Amino acid sequence: MNRVVAHLLTRLYPRDWRERYGVEFEALLQNGPGDLRTSANVLWSALREHIFPTRGGNVDQPINSFGAIIKRPSAFLPLAMSLTALAMLGGAYIFGLATGHGGLVREPDEGAIAHLWQLLMAGQLPVLAFFAIKWLPRAPRQTLCVLALQAGAALASMAPVFFLNL
Amino acid sequence: MIEDIARLCGTRLGPGTLYGAIARLEQLGWIAPLPPEERRRPYRITAEGLHVLRAKLKTLQQFTKAGLRRLEAL
Repeated sequence: MNRVVAHLLTRLYPRDWRERYGVEFEALLQNGPGDLRTSANVLWSALREHIFPTRGGNVDQPINSFGAIIKRPSAFLPLAMSLTALAMLGGAYIFGLATGHGGLVREPDEGAIAHLWQLLMAGQLPVLAFFAIKWLPRAPRQTLCVLALQAGAALASMAPVFFLNL
Repeated sequence: MIEDIARLCGTRLGPGTLYGAIARLEQLGWIAPLPPEERRRPYRITAEGLHVLRAKLKTLQQFTKAGLRRLEAL
């Protein structure tokens, strides 16, 4: 197989895996055939490694700990989105108070902040679903803790909308 | 290794499948890496791996025997 193609295919694997097997795997690819079947096999295996990582054979690494899971983009993105939505409402409230409108007022056409809030809250649903599907079977207790945090952040962001009738 | 498996089983593994298996076997502690030979890295079977392999082959042997007996009775 062509060296560049072998390198690019190896790059499809997660970093942990590459650090452990990258050099030998790339050498194996270079010595093997460069047909479509081989490329498809590597593509599929790389995708599988992303979904079900073997962690490069390092069994001692606690990747299922709460600290490790919360660092996953699918764990912290919904949290960040909820907190951003809440911060937006807070900012608008303070701006309303400062300009003498008496905090947040309900606009007939909902306004830009309302649309952004809706986008942030609805946009996190597929990320939440992905996170739950991926992590619940692997680390149920830690995943439930993260899901509880995400739900708390979402509720905190929704609370002003309900209580202030926005 | 791919050629060896192809000769033994008649199935040619893709490199991704092979390394998926190697990573899992190593994670389970059934194989261990030997010092690298240039860019190649050979592996050896561990004592635990031997134990598991023996047990698996024994089960397969029993399964094959039972299957053949039933086929002969047909």
